Amino acid sequence: MVYPTEQIENLKCYCAKLSAISEGGVTFLLMEGLRLPAGCEPAVCDALLCPVPKDGYPSRLFLSVKVISLYTRNWNCVNARVAERNWFAFSWMVDIKDPTLTQLLVAHLNGFAKEK
Amino acid sequence: MKTQINLSGSLYAGMIRDLTRPHPFAAERVGFVFGRLGSLERDDRLILLTRYHSIPDNQYVEDHTVCARIGSEALTWAMQAVYFGRSGREGIFHIHLHGGRGEPRMSAVDRREIPKLIPGFKSVGPDAAHGIIILSSDHGSGWVWLHGSTESIRVDRISVIGSPVELFENRREQ
Amino acid sequence: MSVDRYSRQSFLGASAEDRIARCTIGVIGLGGGGSHIVQQLAHVGFQHYVLYDEDIVEESNLNRLIGATSADVPAETPKLHLAKMMVYRLQPHANIRGFACRWQERPEPLRECQIVLGCVDSYKGREEIEIACRRYLMHYIDIGMDVHGKERPVIGGQIIMSSPEGLCMRCMGFLTDEKLASEAAQYGNAGPRPQVVWPNGVLASTAVGLAVDLVTNWTRSSRTHAYLSYDGNQGIIRPSITLLNLPVKTCSHFSESEVGDPVPLDL
Repeated sequence: MVYPTEQIENLKCYCAKLSAISEGGVTFLLMEGLRLPAGCEPAVCDALLCPVPKDGYPSRLFLSVKVISLYTRNWNCVNARVAERNWFAFSWMVDIKDPTLTQLLVAHLNGFAKEK
Repeated sequence: MKTQINLSGSLYAGMIRDLTRPHPFAAERVGFVFGRLGSLERDDRLILLTRYHSIPDNQYVEDHTVCARIGSEALTWAMQAVYFGRSGREGIFHIHLHGGRGEPRMSAVDRREIPKLIPGFKSVGPDAAHGIIILSSDHGSGWVWLHGSTESIRVDRISVIGSPVELFENRREQ
Repeated sequence: MSVDRYSRQSFLGASAEDRIARCTIGVIGLGGGGSHIVQQLAHVGFQHYVLYDEDIVEESNLNRLIGATSADVPAETPKLHLAKMMVYRLQPHANIRGFACRWQERPEPLRECQIVLGCVDSYKGREEIEIACRRYLMHYIDIGMDVHGKERPVIGGQIIMSSPEGLCMRCMGFLTDEKLASEAAQYGNAGPRPQVVWPNGVLASTAVGLAVDLVTNWTRSSRTHAYLSYDGNQGIIRPSITLLNLPVKTCSHFSESEVGDPVPLDL
């Protein structure tokens, strides 16, 4: 899938490095050095943004570590293997019509900052 | 350091089919097969072969002093393919078939001529592995130039993942 | 070792013993299914193994874990240890690389296998193994069983073979987004699944048969894929009905660019 250049450039603002990686017919956006919301431990980690439906979610944000945050989350994806790395994700449904990549990312990161 | 090559049974069968076709004047056929890198433990390396390119008949040069000589058009194609595949670290292997059975070795001509291609491939695809594969009717041998290395490494094993599984193990010296 | 040892399997071909002995075979999961598989592989003559299981023997395993005894429960014997002993008792010179962890924590040794047998209990687990096998060009044979229904239990199971450039588990209709989503939604709430020894034995034996055929091609079928369904109530294994009306002939779920170590493309 090809994303508009502007969306890619905007997404780069959130991380140190952005690249694309494909597996099993899905193209993930690899965000190295993603800055997490305040209160998260660690403050920075790698992430995989999956902007397409996967495993019952319209989109998903995978993280390289199980992040400690203000609110307890249901980490129902532990050590999932994608692109030869192990990833973690909590259950968080993001349902936005035609989101930009940044809107998608922010909506997932809100999972750390919002109670529900 | 161990180096291994894996390829699918269908790719292997396709290459054999093409390489055994008679050529109007060359005694042997030559092809190019592309490979990607896989990491094993320690510094051991795995090369996964993905696709094969058959060199068209009209890209051979008639030269009866050797079994086969490919022309500049074939080499240009190969260099361009490596260049366009460089972002995926895709390397290229010169491949041909020797008659007979058993573990093939490089002929004097192979040893003299084929390695000359490698520096060119490395210049356009520096992060990939490139090399040479020689097949016989029931075996195969490989030589790889890894990223950053000017010397070749003998491939320890070529595994054909088909049915049956074929394992071509290096039992000779380098 | 006596040359008569494999005389009863000479129908596999003159070179079968040598082929089997040189092949490296991976087994992920050494529980009810995997323990059967390892035992049979050792009998057949496989010499090179890569094994993964992080669990120890528990009381509830004793109804089906091949090689386990009552003493293994208080001893907290690792299932990996049981598997290794089973192999060594039959093949004292076997080369076994065993890992008491999830394969995802030590994935590199698995890549040296030509055939991987998966005995895991989740669709997600199967998907991950298949992706790794496609990346590093290995045959993948998966087994699994389940028991449905309380009033009239039904035993079902499958043996699936997914090979490079052949049809994958999605092509064959076994793995679907719906199944993965449903499983993800139940995460942590699934509870222990019913498991008994005889269906495991049937599935494991069939899987080992597929593996031996891949190595020797004694049936001359040159399979590129397989999906066999097991009806445990009727005692029947048959090709899955989904294969009969399969619209696809080639796999579109894995591309050439997904072979080898992942290489991110800078954006």
